Amino acid sequence: MTISLAVPDILVARARAGDLEALEALYRAFETPVYNLARRMLRHPEEAEDVLQETFLEVVKSIRSYRGEGPLWAWIRKIAASKALMRIRREQVRTAELLDEETAPGSPVHKSLPARIDLERALEQLSETSRSVVWLHDVEGYTHEEIAELMGKTVSFSKSQLARAHARLRRMLEKEGAAP
Amino acid sequence: MHCTMDDLLALRANEGSAWARRHLDECSVCQTELEALYQRVARLKALPPLGPARDRWPAIRDAIVAERRRRLRRWSGVGLAAAAALAGLIVFAPFGPRQVDAAELARAKQQSATLEEELQRYGPTGRVMSGRSAALVAELEDRIAVIDGELARVGGSAAQLRHDELVTLWQERVTLMQQLVDAHVTRVSYVGL
Repeated sequence: MTISLAVPDILVARARAGDLEALEALYRAFETPVYNLARRMLRHPEEAEDVLQETFLEVVKSIRSYRGEGPLWAWIRKIAASKALMRIRREQVRTAELLDEETAPGSPVHKSLPARIDLERALEQLSETSRSVVWLHDVEGYTHEEIAELMGKTVSFSKSQLARAHARLRRMLEKEGAAP
Repeated sequence: MHCTMDDLLALRANEGSAWARRHLDECSVCQTELEALYQRVARLKALPPLGPARDRWPAIRDAIVAERRRRLRRWSGVGLAAAAALAGLIVFAPFGPRQVDAAELARAKQQSATLEEELQRYGPTGRVMSGRSAALVAELEDRIAVIDGELARVGGSAAQLRHDELVTLWQERVTLMQQLVDAHVTRVSYVGL
């Protein structure tokens, strides 16, 4: 999904001054892209909504520090990605999620895998870490270096996650038919 | 031997090895795989955006308003106290018996700077503290901010504050800084608030 969101400077200035109407206008402008990013990274819609809320509370708190060095969307997106990754890390601590589901053939994910699935559902079959890397790299255009920094991991971790995720997507989509 | 997914991803990023590039030129299977990779990414980018089921703005707005009210209450309380203290200082201090000099002002500033350094060395931002300690630290930081605001306002102008009044402000700052250091480094109970 390509996002092209231009926000008038005057709106940003009003938001920085704490104008509630301007803040709501910013929220309305970025609500869907932020939720979409979080939803593509996280398994549960409710968690993605929580990330949306946390992201905007952070935006309200920190917008004075935004100096307009880059697009506003890039700044907000980084906050949203960080919030989503924080949740993934917390979840990993709780469940000791396996980085590669292929090593757990008896997991519920494998059992529930249908014979024919589309890309959307194939993406959902990946672990949150893998889908985050795929989404951030292939769709949002983050580099492996940026992903590694966001995740607190190495560049090679990001690269290997991407390769494993694509290998898995390829196999799942093969079952679908001739689609890549 | 065909290209691995790592090889294909590297080729897509124009970082493929010499072997992978040569192999790709000759192997129709790997050419098809690379094309499939491009198509898969194109399909990922074309997925429709997902929107939230519920409107979260009301909850966000309520949180913003609640935070503003909380700050206003805190600042109005602290501000009134500081204004009263300053007024008392200006009214009564000229009649006081205390004789102050530039050395005393310099000493208070030096003590304040030393405590700031001590706090920096301790690195309070990276430490976890209890809720009670955090509330106390916030309270002390607010009080220091009020004094700093007054110091910035008078801007060292001799016309606005007498020398001894300036010293009193700095000494008050030193006291609060000491309490802040105590709150971070020792125990909350030592501060006596």
